Order: sequence, then C-alpha cells, then structure tokens
Amino acid sequence: MSRIQLENVTKKFGKVTALDGVTLDIKDKEFFVLFGPAGAGKTTILNCIAGIQIPEEGVVKFDGEVVNLVDAAHRDTAMVFENYALYPQMTVYDNMASPLRSNLYKKDEEYIKNKIQEIAEMMKMDYLLQRLPSQLSNGQKQRVAMGRALVRSPRVYLMDEPLAHLDAKLRNAMRTELKEIQANFGTTSIYVTHDFMEAMSLGDRIAIVNEGHIVQIGTGDEIYYMPCNEFVAQLMGDPEINIIGGTLAKSAKGYTFTMNAGGKAYELPADADLFAKFDEVGLEKVEMGMRPQHLKYSFEPKEGYLKCSVYSYESIGNKSVIVAEMGELQLRMIAPNGLTVKIDQDVYVDMKLEHAMFFNADTKEYVTRYNEAEIKSFAIRED
Amino acid sequence: MNSNKKLLGAIVQNLLLVIYAIFALFPLIWMVILTFKPDTQMYTTTFIFDPTLDNYKEVLFNSDYISYMIDSLIVSGGAVIVSVVAGVPAAYALARYNFPKKEDIAFQILSFKFAPEILVVLPLFMIFQKLRIYDTHFGLIWVYQLISMPLLIWVVRGYFEDISVEIEHAAQVDGYTWYQIFFKMLIPLIKPGLVSAALLAFIFAWNSFTFPLILAGTNVQPITVAITKFLGTDSAHYGQLAVAATVSALPAIIFALCIQKHLVRGLSFGAVKG
Amino acid sequence: MAGLRIEHLYKRYENSGKKKSVQNDYAVKDLNLVAEQGEFIALLGPSGCGKTTTLRMTAGLEDITKGEIYIGDVLVNNLHPKDRHIGLAFEDYAMYPPLTVYDNIAFNLKAKGVDKAEIDKRVREIAPLMQCDDLLDKMPVKLSGGQKQRVNIARAIIRRPELLLMDEPLSHLDGKARQAMRTEIKRLINDIKCTTVYVTHDQLEAMSLADKIAIINFGVLQQYGTPAEVYDDPVNEFVASFIGEPPMNILETTIKGKGDHFVFTFEGSNLEIEVPKRYNNVVKDGFKCKMGVRPMDVLIGGPDSKGTSEEVATFENLGDERRIGIHVGGTLLMLITDAETRYKAGDIIKLEVRGEKTHLFDIETGDRIRE
Repeated sequence: MSRIQLENVTKKFGKVTALDGVTLDIKDKEFFVLFGPAGAGKTTILNCIAGIQIPEEGVVKFDGEVVNLVDAAHRDTAMVFENYALYPQMTVYDNMASPLRSNLYKKDEEYIKNKIQEIAEMMKMDYLLQRLPSQLSNGQKQRVAMGRALVRSPRVYLMDEPLAHLDAKLRNAMRTELKEIQANFGTTSIYVTHDFMEAMSLGDRIAIVNEGHIVQIGTGDEIYYMPCNEFVAQLMGDPEINIIGGTLAKSAKGYTFTMNAGGKAYELPADADLFAKFDEVGLEKVEMGMRPQHLKYSFEPKEGYLKCSVYSYESIGNKSVIVAEMGELQLRMIAPNGLTVKIDQDVYVDMKLEHAMFFNADTKEYVTRYNEAEIKSFAIRED
Repeated sequence: MNSNKKLLGAIVQNLLLVIYAIFALFPLIWMVILTFKPDTQMYTTTFIFDPTLDNYKEVLFNSDYISYMIDSLIVSGGAVIVSVVAGVPAAYALARYNFPKKEDIAFQILSFKFAPEILVVLPLFMIFQKLRIYDTHFGLIWVYQLISMPLLIWVVRGYFEDISVEIEHAAQVDGYTWYQIFFKMLIPLIKPGLVSAALLAFIFAWNSFTFPLILAGTNVQPITVAITKFLGTDSAHYGQLAVAATVSALPAIIFALCIQKHLVRGLSFGAVKG
Repeated sequence: MAGLRIEHLYKRYENSGKKKSVQNDYAVKDLNLVAEQGEFIALLGPSGCGKTTTLRMTAGLEDITKGEIYIGDVLVNNLHPKDRHIGLAFEDYAMYPPLTVYDNIAFNLKAKGVDKAEIDKRVREIAPLMQCDDLLDKMPVKLSGGQKQRVNIARAIIRRPELLLMDEPLSHLDGKARQAMRTEIKRLINDIKCTTVYVTHDQLEAMSLADKIAIINFGVLQQYGTPAEVYDDPVNEFVASFIGEPPMNILETTIKGKGDHFVFTFEGSNLEIEVPKRYNNVVKDGFKCKMGVRPMDVLIGGPDSKGTSEEVATFENLGDERRIGIHVGGTLLMLITDAETRYKAGDIIKLEVRGEKTHLFDIETGDRIRE
C-alpha cells in the first residue's frame, strides 16, 4: 500500500548524469512500467526508490513521506534483479525464505513454510525448492527471483527486467504467466523493461525513459496511439512504425500530403479535427507515421498503389514482415507467413491513411492524428 | 591403422609422464628413506638397508623438536589469522568501493612482496631491537604477515569482484544489515578463495627462513631455523635432519587435506545470469 | 558451386566412462539431407540436439562415425577441411587481433598464395557486399559486435566456397542489430547464390532465412521442408510447438460423437470444437489424442456466434495485436486478434475455433494423426 513519488530526482555517477530531474507520481496499487532503451536510466530510478542509490538532488516519497535518508533495508520494498541475484550457496527454499528470516521482517518457520509453498505453487515451481541456483535454468532462476520478492508483502514491488535474459519464446510465455498472477499482487509495482510488449501488456501506466529524462507518461494505448514524438512511436511496435517525410498543402477538399520520396500526392481523407489542427499549426513539412499493419500490398499492379521492390520478407513469429524499398524509403508491412516472395521482385503498396499520425518534421514532435478524440476517449484513463 | 597410431601416442604420453613423476618425486622419496636409515648406512645409494626408528626417537623425544614445531605453528598460524582478519575487509574495500588512488594502494600492498627478504631484514632487526620485540612470537607474527597479507588480499579481492553487487543489494532489500550480509552471504561465497589463499599464506610463513634466522633464534625457534641444529659442527646427523624435515612438512600437508573440499571453485557460479 | 548431400549420417562420441552399448549415445542418428545447389537450409533445434555436430562433420572438424557426406558429387568423408571448398562463419568471432580487417579478410587467400592484385580485387569486391568497406583499415578490437560478424562472414565468402557453413552467427547480437543483420545475410546469400547451411536454435531466424528447414531433436531429423510446410503441416507435436510464436496450442482431448459429426471435448471445460469431416474415418467416440491449433486460428465470435462462452483468463494488449488466454482444463489456450476491443480477466467471450485448421497428434508418441 503505497503511493511512490519522485520529485526532480537527479543522480550523477562521477561526471555522468544518469537521471536529470525525474518526476513521477505512482499511484497506490498501480502496476507502473518504466520503459526505454538500454542505458536510459530505468534501473537507476528503481535503485533510487529501493534505496540502493541515493539521489544528489530531489526527493523520493513513500505515501508523502520523504525517504531519502532511509536505508534500503528499512524502506520495506521487495526487488527482482535483472541478473536474479540469487544467493548461490542457498537452496531455492532458503533463497525464498531469506527475506522472512531477516531480523526486520522475521516470521516463524511454520509461517515461512506455508508462505513459500503457496507462492511456489502459484509460480509452478514447487518441485524446485530443494535445488541450488546453479542447478536451475534461466527461466527457473527467474521464477525463483520473482518468488523471493513475492513471499513478502512490502510497500512496493520493484522489478528490474526480470524477463530480459530469457529467449524470445520463454519470455513471451513468462509474460503471459506474469499477467495472470498480476492480479494477486495487490501492491504498488514498478516494472522496468526494454521490451515494448511487456510494457504494453503489463503496465497500467507506462513512463518512457530516455537519457535520464521522462519522455512521456500514459496508458499503453495512449503511448501507442498518440506517441509524443517519433522516438516514442518507434519504440512502441515491432516492426517499427514507418516514418514518411512529406509536405502538407491545402486543397479544395482539405489537405494533400505529398511524399518526399517519389513525389506521389495523397488526398487526405476528411477529418474535421485533424484539418482544424493543421489549420492551427500551419505546418508544411511533416512526417507521417504509419504502423506496418496499416499498409496494404499487392504483387500485381493496382490503381493508386506505389510501385516498390521487395527488400526482404521475414517471419516474426505468427506473421511476417515485408520490407519494400522505393529509393531511399523503406516501408515495413505485415503479411502472413509462408508466402513465396522473392527479393527484389516488384510489390505495390498502399496506405490506410485514416490510421496516420503526423509529426513535425523539424522537431519530430507529435502534431495530431486521425480519430484523436475517439482514441483519447478510450486511451486516457482519468481516475 | 589409425587406432594403432592413437594407441602408440597414448603409450608415449604416459611414459613421459611417468618419467617426469619419478624425476619430480625422487628427492622426496629419498628423504623419507633416509629417515629410516641408520647413520652407518647413510651414504649407500642402494635401496637395501636395515630400517630403524632410531632417528624418529632421537628427534621427537630426545630433542626440543616439539617445541620448535609449536613455535612454528604459533607464528605461522598467528600470521595467517592476522592476515585474514585485516586482509579480508581490505580486499572487500578494494573490490567494492571507489576511492582516490585505489589502484595505487592495491599495487603498493602487492609491492611488499617485491623486496628480497634479505634486503629489509637488517633494518627490521634494528627496529625490532628498539621496540623490544626481537626474538618474540609477536615480532615474528608481525613480520610473517608482511609475507602472507598481500597474497591474501589480492586473491580474495578477485573473489569479491566476482560476486555480483546485486546479491548484496538483494540482501539489503531483504532487510539484512551490512554485517549480516558480510558474514552470511559474502563469506560463504569467498570461502574457496579464502581457504586457498590462507593455505598458501600458511605455507609461505611456515617455510620462511631468513626472517626467523635473523629476527629470532633463542626464545622462539621456528622449525626452519631449528633444523639447522641437526647439522652440528662436528657431525652431521642426516637421518635426524631428514626426520625433522619430513615431520615439518606434515602440518602443511594435513592442513591442505583438511580443506581440500573447499578448494573446489565454482560455488559462486550459476547464481546470476549465465 | 555445388549442393550438399548427407546420407545415413551417424555420430557417436566415445565416452570413456560409460559402457558403449547404450543406444542413445548417438549425437546424430541416421540423418539424411539434400541441399540443392544454391539452396539455403537451416538446421534448427534446441541446444544439444546435434545440429552443430552435423555442421562440424560437414566442415571436417569432427570425425564421422558412420554415413557419407557429399559436397557436389565428391565424397568428403576423408578430405581435410581445407580441401572441402567450404567457408565457415562461427558464433564466436575468431579474428586475428593483430591484423587489420583488410588483412583478416585477405588472410585465407594469402595463405593459399593468391597474388596480391587478385586478393585486393576480391577484398574490394566483397567489402561493399557486407557493408564493411569503411572498416578495412580498422583493427578488430575497435569493431562492434555486428561489424565483427560482417567481417567474419566476408572472410568466409571470400574464398568463393562451394558451401557456406554458419553456426549461430547472430547469437551475440541483440534486438535490432540482430534483425538488421538477418536481413543482410538473406540478401547476401541471394546475391552470391552459394549453397548455405545455417545452424540456429531460433525458429524465427530459420523461418526468415531458409529455403528449407531441417528440424532436429535428440540427433534425429524430425522434418525437412520449406518454412510454409513446417508451419502449416508439422509432422509431430515437437515441430508444431517449436515453430511459431506464440507456439501452437496443444491440448489433450477426448473425441465424442455428436449427431453426424465428431467434436473435441476437454476435461474440465465445456469447450467443444468440431472435428473436421476429413478425420471421420480415423476417429471414433471416446478416442483420446492431442489437438493442436495455432493462436491465429482461434477466433472471437460476434454476439450471435454459435461458439462456446468462455471466460478470459489473461488479456494482453500489445499494441500491434492483442493476445487472450483462456483456461481449458489445466492449459492456457492462447488466441491472437487484431480487433481493437479491450477485454479484462473475467470477461466472457464467444470462442470459435477454425476446426479445419486443427491438427491431431498421437497422445503417446506425439506423431501427427492424418486423415
């Protein structure tokens, strides 16, 4: 039970500034995800909350109470480490019992036994309890690390990329499992990841972290559909969003978008809010963001389709990606598995413009998108 | 024909190994044989002699040999204890904390071992006389730990560095104090390194000759110095000398056998990501 | 240029400790493979399945216990690796540290005594293909992981091998670099049209790169076919669950007769899925087997759907798609949907399964049951 706040937290390592004025307000019982590329400062934020690192400036508050000077042991947090940090000399059982045997959180052995049994069953690892960490696979270690955190009922669970070292398949399976037990947490949780699927799936809200700054905070949908800039748009989604440079011009019916590559002009479908926004900002140079699933392709010439050539065709699991090339521009789009596609063959591409989002070509900041009002209505949660 | 070649290769390899083993072990075997020879047959080079335990009786019961052993144990053991008590925290500090001139200090510690003993022993002799610790257990322990501490610090530091710092963080978050973490989590993990470094330190101290020769010799007589007594000015009792030497090798061997199971490394692997 | 033919290949390691008679001592067991000239084949399987051993035997780095390997029409069993006309790119970049990238790439040719002008011509030819032309004067220590792997591959193909062998060349790279490199390899092989054998444990790499995939488990070839074949028509449960992400849902089922057709029923669940008619003469009432269906082939029905009502156990919004998990007995049945609807755990949905896309597997052996 805790609301966690960071106010203007700055952390330096020697001359390197790891965090620069980070402000966060994490609600009680929220599952909050810190998402960003490697080296963004996500783990440092977590360490500042855990008390493993002390910020040079700013305050960390638990339920409104400043905890900067409280040491890690007394903050009443439970943490899952990226490298699991299991105690190698202890069995899984003793590893999990360790938090409950420290003087601070001491429980009797009977309680410990029952608690571990309960958590182990939930995590489907009761058969591992007598093993040593060296006898476990990575996936099993990950479970134990998670289990060790869950045996306690701390004020906040802190999880640092717990799935990062698993291979893709196991990671996806574990993510789904985590999602399933998530409801049992019932405690404020902060989860660090660099995998956008984990962020989207698990987070009640997501904070995008880059170079020690918070770039955007919002629900998964908000960040996915209305990224505040191109950087965020590119982080969310695999394959990456297509960014297509072009110019906007007023036309009789509304606006036309002319692509820089190839010079093809598109009449933009009508959307009163969108055009009003264009009128307001008066931008000429924009970049259009199109998610790969919103491109259509055909291997036969089709009216209004752009002629491109296939750069690659690759599976991404349950579907495939065609990358089409037109001059400098590469367009990624989704296709089913198992097509017969030859490299460099012709492919014709069209865009579902009614899903487009627009960015300022100079600042790379988000300008507007289609159906913004509708998306806001389901993406932004006010509570 | 391929398998014939392999067989031949294996035979040659094993033969060479046997020859080397004989070459390496022969002096030891010869010394043990000497302990059982009567003085009269001392210089024969055959393996045929009349075995006797006289040498053992003479050395173990009719000389102060046992007290020399005890002196050696006190000073070597004392040096190892001092090294462990002071060296392990020092190694931890060098592994975990960043402070100015850290590497210089680490190197400085190692450099104590660079100077030949003979070079520093005279100044030490004069200092010891002034401090009135000449020819005392305390004085020898002090100078022995100079030999053993740097080695211990360097070995144990490496072990500390191998332990991921997250294990300490995890224990902190679990609610343990620093001292509990150090003794419950870290010490078990560095144990293999600690015992092997302690063993080496003990052997170095045990075998030290120059320091005890100059800095002690009357009240305190470690075994290395005492053995020379068996080479009298008038006669050389090689049999007794061999007994003294053989028995003096035993503590280190026993020590090594006792801690053998801890010498196996690898406990610290596998707890963190592979 | 030449193809590769592997016939009845066996490998057994002589383990000194154990008695030899144990059957499953074989690291590779009766392996047969043919790669046509210019074909890109992937050896795919979990670690320790014998795929690398097969590659190493092909390269001549490992003795062959039994069987024959032909490169082109030449039996290479007893040829020295250097005489097999192969190029090797292994997972750890074994570059010569004191040499520049240029010299590393040229090393093989120099060793063969090719003259300098020719070497230079070939290096300049290969370098742009692997996008390492501006790296040529650098030392290996200065390169990133991806760059090292490029140089490594350039070095393998400069000899103009008849057969290119790659062992997990991307396993040291992460995320985006890996994806980009995968595309480059694909395009490179497409350009040089060299027969290639690629070892990997990552089904995505195999599916993306290879013309044909050989799926190996416990030293035994399970299936050899195009990516589409192994995805749509797996021969057994192992292949079905190894290929695809998320993997195929595999559930134990008892078949029951229902009027003129059969349905799959599941213990602890009221879910019923119609068995395709074509299986009518292999199944009967009370027949126990396993049913497999890909998450893409499980659908959410509309309000007037005839599907079974099921409770959502997990709902994951992944942006590009949404995954829903449903408890069927003790297993979590996954489905993937592009629809924009948001659910939460506990919601009731109508579940429809494309019966015609289901596969049947033997409950004991895991072998596919065909109509």
